[in-house]
Amino acid sequence: MNPRNNCFKTLSICMAAAVMLGACSGTAPSGIKKIAAGQEHSGFLKDYSALKPNPNLDADALTFVSTDAQKNLRGYLAIMVDPIDIYVATNADESKIPESSRAAVAKYFHHALVKAVSDAYPIVDAPGPLVLRLRAALVGIDAGGAVNAGDVPEGGKALANAVNIGKVAVEMELVDSETGERVAAMVDKASLGSGAEVGAEQFSRMQKFAAAREAFDEWAARVWLFLDSSMQLTGEDADKALKAYVSYGSEAETGK
Amino acid sequence: MKNTFVAFACLALAGLQSNGAEISTFHAYVDSDLCARLMLGPITDSRVQCSLQTVKEGSSPVLVRLKDNVVLTVNKQKMIKEHVGKFAEVNGEAKLKAGTVKLDAVKPVEMGAIPSGDSGRRLLDVRMYKAASPQIVEKVRHELAMMPYITQFDFISFTMVGSDVILTGWTVRQTNRSEAFNRVKSIEGVQNITNNIEVLPLGMNDNQIRAAARAALQRTLSRYFWGSGSDIKIIVQNGNIILLGAVATKADSDLATIQCNSVPMAFHVFNMLKVRTPAKS
Repeated sequence: MNPRNNCFKTLSICMAAAVMLGACSGTAPSGIKKIAAGQEHSGFLKDYSALKPNPNLDADALTFVSTDAQKNLRGYLAIMVDPIDIYVATNADESKIPESSRAAVAKYFHHALVKAVSDAYPIVDAPGPLVLRLRAALVGIDAGGAVNAGDVPEGGKALANAVNIGKVAVEMELVDSETGERVAAMVDKASLGSGAEVGAEQFSRMQKFAAAREAFDEWAARVWLFLDSSMQLTGEDADKALKAYVSYGSEAETGK
Repeated sequence: MKNTFVAFACLALAGLQSNGAEISTFHAYVDSDLCARLMLGPITDSRVQCSLQTVKEGSSPVLVRLKDNVVLTVNKQKMIKEHVGKFAEVNGEAKLKAGTVKLDAVKPVEMGAIPSGDSGRRLLDVRMYKAASPQIVEKVRHELAMMPYITQFDFISFTMVGSDVILTGWTVRQTNRSEAFNRVKSIEGVQNITNNIEVLPLGMNDNQIRAAARAALQRTLSRYFWGSGSDIKIIVQNGNIILLGAVATKADSDLATIQCNSVPMAFHVFNMLKVRTPAKS
């Protein structure tokens, strides 16, 4: 048998296998992730059943916090923030939301999240012991109108089409960076970006897109608020903390 | 020429001030890092014993500036190691905010050599370590115990000298250090605060030791751990484990040492756990 034929045969089999694998994982050839029709959630989180309304946030937010003695928010010392996943709206015209547009919003939201959660945990860039991994997705972005060249200042790169974030929700979870076990999760459907659009790759300093920037910052701030409120000591936890507090200076304090 | 020299001298001084550094000579007690942050207050015999013992076991030697109890880590430990448990006159460039001093000279001195009017001498007096009021002590205790980001790997303690508070301990979060300061500062009646809380680096090796020590302790002493906190605090500093807090029995305390001694990569276990005395019925 001709060795060249053999080589072609092997190559074709490999290519066919690769195409089949791609189809099985549910990722579209374009790499765009889309909310399935009729679904309430994107499927970014493996499990939505444990999410409950959180009294510290409004009705738009559903959260989960592990109370396990070994896997809870207080058991971790640092956090790494994964790149942001983007899910486009079910009826969105995918061709108008290319990779560069999705990357622009993902990059800004990642930056906003890092800034917000760094108040709660030091940021690290690699998994390790006592390190949480924050996975987050912006769900439901849509194609907006055409971008006027005049809206983008000199030096800025305009997107082919604006990205509409009017109906975006945020889904995120914190998992143990080594085992992947879930420690906390949140789905935030607060409609903060109503009417807001992103029309340039570096939009953070452009007044025209200030509404979008503020919306992303606010979603990130709500993630921080969720973490911060989960860390506050209340009720039985507060009693236990008070009881457990030992001051090594106590003998001296009273002058004994 | 003279003018140029003066200008250079001014610039050098300005540079030092902008760094928060000051060149000074001061009296200090040469302590171990562990005892300096736990055994607050006057230099008693038990404090001296603690200093000598813990330096021998691997705790770093540090200086405690007598006039205000500020703990200072030094750039050259060899220069002070031989003086542990004693007083010294120190000359160097101190950065109080960072809690460090770059040593120039260290000279041992006797306690009697410290002038009677010196503020350092005043703080050596055991009678000074008395709170202005028990209510303030309770408020400080409450504020520190309720800090939200304190984990099993942080420990913050305090003592009072009249209306002044000395904060001390270790934390893995920079924000805890300032949060403790701000909380105590807001308490009515508190005047000056010395912040000796050390921020520990989050090195990979120390984090592995933290995780392994907690897992080892939770296996056998799980009753001291609950979802949001623990009775046992695990401080890991450069491979050393310091156990703090309180347990019910001496047996539990010993068991904690045994468990932590089995932690890979840990150099030494300092068991400073207190054994709670049962309340009399």
